[in-house]
Amino acid sequence: MAKDLRLRSLRFGPELTGAATLIGLFVLIEILIRIGVINGYIVPLPSAVLASFGRVIAEEGVLQRFLVTMGEALIAGVLVTIVGVSLGVLLYKITILRRATETWIAAFAAAPIVLAYPLFLVIFGRSALTISMMGFVSGLAPVILKTLEGLLGVRPTLINVGRSFNLTPAQQFWKVQFPAAVPAIFVGLRLGLIVALINVVGVEFLINFGGLGQLINELAERYDLPGTYAAICFVILISVCFFIVLERVEKWLRPAS
Amino acid sequence: MAQTGILTRPAVGAAPQSTLTLVRAAIIVVLLAAWELLARSGLLFQDVVPPLFNILSAMGRLLMEVSFYQNLWVTAVEVFFALAIGGLAGIVVGILVGGSPFLTRAYESYLYYLGPTPKIIFFPIMIMWFGVGSGSKIAMGALSCFFPVALSATAGMQQIDKVLIRVGRSFRASTIQMVTKIYLPAMLIPMVNGLRLGFGVAIIGVLLAETKLSNQGLGYLIIQSYTQFNMPQMYAMLIIVFILAAVVNAAFGRLGDRSVSRQKRTT
Amino acid sequence: MDTASPPSLRTSQNPETKTGKPLLVIDDVVKQFATPEGPVVAVDHMSFAVEQGEFVAIIGPSGCGKSTLFNIVGGLLGGYEGNVTVAGERVSGPHPAIGMVFQEESTFPWRTVLDNVAFPLEIQGVPKAERFERARHFIAMVGLNGFERRYPAELSGGMRQRVSIARTLAFEPKILLMDEPFGALDEQTRLLLGDKVLQIQQELKQTTLLITHSITEAVQLSDRVVVMTYRPGRVKRIIDLDLPRPRSSEVVSSEAFGRYVAEIWGDLREEASRGMHDSEAQSR
Repeated sequence: MAKDLRLRSLRFGPELTGAATLIGLFVLIEILIRIGVINGYIVPLPSAVLASFGRVIAEEGVLQRFLVTMGEALIAGVLVTIVGVSLGVLLYKITILRRATETWIAAFAAAPIVLAYPLFLVIFGRSALTISMMGFVSGLAPVILKTLEGLLGVRPTLINVGRSFNLTPAQQFWKVQFPAAVPAIFVGLRLGLIVALINVVGVEFLINFGGLGQLINELAERYDLPGTYAAICFVILISVCFFIVLERVEKWLRPAS
Repeated sequence: MAQTGILTRPAVGAAPQSTLTLVRAAIIVVLLAAWELLARSGLLFQDVVPPLFNILSAMGRLLMEVSFYQNLWVTAVEVFFALAIGGLAGIVVGILVGGSPFLTRAYESYLYYLGPTPKIIFFPIMIMWFGVGSGSKIAMGALSCFFPVALSATAGMQQIDKVLIRVGRSFRASTIQMVTKIYLPAMLIPMVNGLRLGFGVAIIGVLLAETKLSNQGLGYLIIQSYTQFNMPQMYAMLIIVFILAAVVNAAFGRLGDRSVSRQKRTT
Repeated sequence: MDTASPPSLRTSQNPETKTGKPLLVIDDVVKQFATPEGPVVAVDHMSFAVEQGEFVAIIGPSGCGKSTLFNIVGGLLGGYEGNVTVAGERVSGPHPAIGMVFQEESTFPWRTVLDNVAFPLEIQGVPKAERFERARHFIAMVGLNGFERRYPAELSGGMRQRVSIARTLAFEPKILLMDEPFGALDEQTRLLLGDKVLQIQQELKQTTLLITHSITEAVQLSDRVVVMTYRPGRVKRIIDLDLPRPRSSEVVSSEAFGRYVAEIWGDLREEASRGMHDSEAQSR
């Protein structure tokens, strides 16, 4: 029995070390602040941050704000999916268009789109629409690119199987090519959706409107230090969870890899 | 079996370079024409879509003013330091974490999962710690670019051919020599890509911070165009920033391509 | 097959040497590895010596512990019992007198041939002009002059292995330790490269320890052959080769060559078949 436990802890030794370092870091910071080495006015006590979680959740309507952010992200996500995949399919079908615009879309993917948020502010006003649009536009490129990659990368053998069953072009597309491309498409969606969420929260913060991003801004302007840190932790936690969920779905879609 | 390839793609090489250029030109012309029509139609609120000439003249004015170049310099310096600090930290952490299986299992997940999170929300903290000047902008950029660089460096370390490490050890290279003469060159290709991504997010981090709270830099100019409702200038600024980002991105890409071609087996 | 052993075929089991000037001494080395099924002995009380200027080949079936021995002698593997000494000095970590040539592709793909070969000199801090000159000397020695500015990716597998050999030679080690350096190459390239190695070894009077699984290679190149048993690896026999020095690849057609190969195969066959039975049992 004891040997089993020892072996088990050895197996997870590295992971435990990682977690322990993190906790150790917080404890260290707590101590350093309490003894005055770190200025408690610029870095709040980790214990105070922990304590303020409850307060922030209760008083600041975190749940409503979370729903607002999620709503904006949802709109952005739906748009990214529909428009992104559709454009990907379109470019797949129209070769000349694809070859003409490939490099442009790659450039679009690498471009700092979110910097155009003041422009979106002018066009859509200080509203949830701006935020959703910002998320949509920034997450679009990876989806288009990965959809294209997926469709172009379908194994020739599979196409031949379809041909051997005398499928029509439409059937061929919907029953063979598209399903075969789904894993790659979902990688693109994972990338696009996470970028969309990041930009949704980011723009909420920048324009001081919306859900969680705005909360952080407000708490910061109120100089509620522990609250600001708590809200930031909360948002990071949500991003991480969102990312993990997307990963799980992706893994579920491609069990072979 | 060898014949199966013909069915997937529409005839490759059917479109020569000249047709492509034609199509691209056509698309550009159509877009610009549509823009101009929309601008002059009066459908949208005045100046939300300014006529092309206004945008171009705003760009011209900007590029002729000394203050533009002063702001450009401020941003360039901030991005440089952000990339230097965040990049260096990322490389060091990446080498340490990627070089030891134990450390990889302990810490890589943190890098991986904390990477795709909004960093701009840390800006209030950065202001507290580094003040309202360039310090907080550099910190913002460094925080943003640390993660992609660290992850690329970690992956880069893991893909190094183990025999090359043994060669170094058999010649009794010191640790510093191992890092500079073996680890870093062997990781060069994935690292260039990581630095390219890092640069991209460093620019975003620095400029967004400038738009939020600053009185210098390109981000400041962008937000100033907003507050003054100088739309032609805003478009001009955005175009300039995107072009600059694209140029540096392409430079990194070229560097990567060159390294790859040197190491690609021909026999 | 001629079963009468020629009088010159001496065999020995102890580390005593012909001239009594051992440079590399492997003395009663034992190496165990911990596995989920329990400890496995890879090297079991191996002892032999290599004299100055000698070319010794170690031959054994796959899985017999040759590579373990290679890593131990090279100082890359520790935790063993017994002693490995070079000119009396115990080996603990990579030794400046031992140069290693690895089995796998080991040229640095980001360096030119010249930079690759100059690498050990660079590590030692030799100034640029001098190290390039010395590197060129060894590049010429392996027959690659003209290729200094090329990248390994532009060369064939055989040429890349020559670069690795030149690089280790540039280190000017007292003992050259090679682990199946020609394993990945075709037979003809092996024979030709074997010629090259013979030439070099004779010119430099380089003390060499070659690990191989090829009997013909062992007999073609070496002065003595150490035959290893299958796991656990022990010295089964040490065979002195009375073949002419200087030697060339033409020696493979001589009668003595054939007899030595047959002799060694006789020793090796039962070890090799034990190895094969083991791996078949594992795959079931």
